[in-house]
Amino acid sequence: MVTRKRYSLKTREGKEALTGYFFLLPALLLLGVFLLYPMGAAFYYSFTDFYILRPGEKNFIALENFQMILGDAEFRQAFRNTLYFTFLVVPIQIAVALGLALLVNKKLRLKVFFRTAYFSPVVMSLVVVSILWTFMYNPNEGLINEMLGLLGIPPQPFLTSPDQAMNSIIVMSVWQGAGFQMMIFLAGLQNIPDHLYEAADIDGANTFHKFLHVTLPGLKNISLFIFITITIAAFKLLVQPMIMTQGGPLGSTKSLVYHIYEVGFNYRDVGYASAMAVVFTVMVLTITIIQRILVKEERG
Amino acid sequence: MKRMFKTLAPLTLSVAIMAACGGEESGGETSGNEASGNSNNNADSGEQGDVVETGEAEQGVEASGDESVTLDMWIHQTGEDETDFYIKRIDEFNEANDDIYVNAEIIIDDGASSYSDSVNAALVAGNLPDILALDGPYVASFAEADIIASVEEYITDEDREDFVDSIIQQGTYNGELYSLGAMEASVPLYYNKDIFEEEGIEAPTSIEEAWTWDEFLEVAQQLTTENRYGLNLFMNYGVGEWLTFMGAPFVWSNNGELISEDGTTVDGYLNSPETVESLEFVKTLFEEEVVSLTPGEMQFEEGNAAMALGGPWIAVSAEDADFEWGMMPYPYKEVPKSPSGSMAYGITTLSEHPEEAYEVMAWMTNEESTIGLSEVTGMPPARHSAFEAMDHYDELPWSVIRDQVTETAHARPQTPAYPVLTDAFAQAFHAAALGEDVEEILNQQVDRVERELRRFQD
Repeated sequence: MVTRKRYSLKTREGKEALTGYFFLLPALLLLGVFLLYPMGAAFYYSFTDFYILRPGEKNFIALENFQMILGDAEFRQAFRNTLYFTFLVVPIQIAVALGLALLVNKKLRLKVFFRTAYFSPVVMSLVVVSILWTFMYNPNEGLINEMLGLLGIPPQPFLTSPDQAMNSIIVMSVWQGAGFQMMIFLAGLQNIPDHLYEAADIDGANTFHKFLHVTLPGLKNISLFIFITITIAAFKLLVQPMIMTQGGPLGSTKSLVYHIYEVGFNYRDVGYASAMAVVFTVMVLTITIIQRILVKEERG
Repeated sequence: MKRMFKTLAPLTLSVAIMAACGGEESGGETSGNEASGNSNNNADSGEQGDVVETGEAEQGVEASGDESVTLDMWIHQTGEDETDFYIKRIDEFNEANDDIYVNAEIIIDDGASSYSDSVNAALVAGNLPDILALDGPYVASFAEADIIASVEEYITDEDREDFVDSIIQQGTYNGELYSLGAMEASVPLYYNKDIFEEEGIEAPTSIEEAWTWDEFLEVAQQLTTENRYGLNLFMNYGVGEWLTFMGAPFVWSNNGELISEDGTTVDGYLNSPETVESLEFVKTLFEEEVVSLTPGEMQFEEGNAAMALGGPWIAVSAEDADFEWGMMPYPYKEVPKSPSGSMAYGITTLSEHPEEAYEVMAWMTNEESTIGLSEVTGMPPARHSAFEAMDHYDELPWSVIRDQVTETAHARPQTPAYPVLTDAFAQAFHAAALGEDVEEILNQQVDRVERELRRFQD
């Protein structure tokens, strides 16, 4: 089957191929209209001074927008915030997801209940979760500060202190997202053959050794998949700061995507916002490619 | 109107996100219409190249013959009662006018950006209606970009004089009137009468007796106890338009401005000693802990704050409070000033029937509409005649709002750079509340706004 066949519409195979392409068509069409076309348009706009209120006057200004990014303090701050969020959220969320997966993989009662409980935040809308956590974080009447109060800890300005706001968003994001990766890890755990653990038992390995030498290597491929998807999702941070802090206090939670959104839609500067979006896309693409290369090396 | 500022209200926000997606979808629909050949290009759109008029009008027109003019109109949807009222008034207009038919479309307005997202999408696609509702501070942007047309030639002097000054101020750009609204807004200082009685404090009842900042701070301090704040500034609405709407009178009443009179610069205005001093005062309120940075949703209504600088909607939500409350005028430094501004109407330059469109605009802002809208929303009317016709504005507490709207109301700046300017001020206000160096923050924000202003100077 290595050689390529030429299909003719008269043969059965040819007709099947045609049917196949028809089945592909709706997906391709949607992809084209809602992904490829906007991407192309954003790339084009990034070289123009497109201002929303003057759609008829798009002037080509070459690299001016990109030069502006270099001198934009807000962009730099948003860039730092996004990196900070990503570097913390990725390892914490992977660790929490793995921990939960190990817990609910045990033979314990109410196993299904716990799995559902940990997974349920994932199916909730991020907007709803953000609003709920805003109430929970409230220093005056929020649940978390009430609980800290019982321990004798004074109310914390979780979302109104520039030092704590991003960390508060990280905690909430991990809680919301970890359940999904837990399910993937769980599937991975159940794919590790029992005989490996039995063999380790015979060799006299303790629980920790089994985790280190059987469980972890068995999860390697799945971990890398999770690593990549969490990283990409983390870079796209938008909803949490938009709803919980509006990027504040003092810009400490403004993410890159949020900044792009504000410049494009609130300040109407589509040209500049597109340029930032292009830079952002290239950045995420680069990181993904680097990760992919690492994945290949690990497999080989 | 309330929702224009309450970006954190749960339901509102979920709508925000959905509507944001909706905005994009409507862009998609447009291209769909284009593809199916459903477009009816008009003469004007030819100049703009890729602009296509979609067949929105076709759905609403009855076969009433060629002599009838059909006008498309966009109305923002905030509260149900408010929207129902708009629909009722448009129906009445259609009944009263044989030669004009208004085809109204209700666009969701979540208080964040969904309405302006829809307007932006339509603008880029060349789909704007003949008449549209727009927020007061955006009049300048739309006028500058030649999206809405001047109505200077249509309005009579008599009619103009009946509108309160702030509505004319809000609708005017470069000396020409572009927009009229039926509704005003204001921020009185609400107070808990029970607590005032206990503490033996007398509340001022007229602008002449309004408290100065010093008196205001002193009372706020006196009223702050272990489990009660002296004041609520509704910081829970988030860092957004509310902070400019509610907070800018601190600057104006100190003889400060946010932008130069000719609108070309904010340097020396947004960072002037007067502006710095007024935000220093805001900072003091927070440092003295008379006001909370994170008040609960119903802090005043539950009796956990003795006073509140809130919108007219607080009178509605405090109806069921188990204490007596009143209103007093906004405190001042040198000259009494108060917040102002609300949704208004504009006629687009694409409209082929501006004269008829103005008739609709005049109808939606006439005395009857103004009074009716005020009755269903609780917002102050935009006309002197309406104030005279509505008895409850002659008595306390509502007379405070009437006095503010007719005497001390100050419109927000009329500049096309408003979106950046308002964010700059809101950021600075919030930074002051956090105890940051006011002058330093204001200087940073001046750079931002100056950069934006340069866009409009060629």
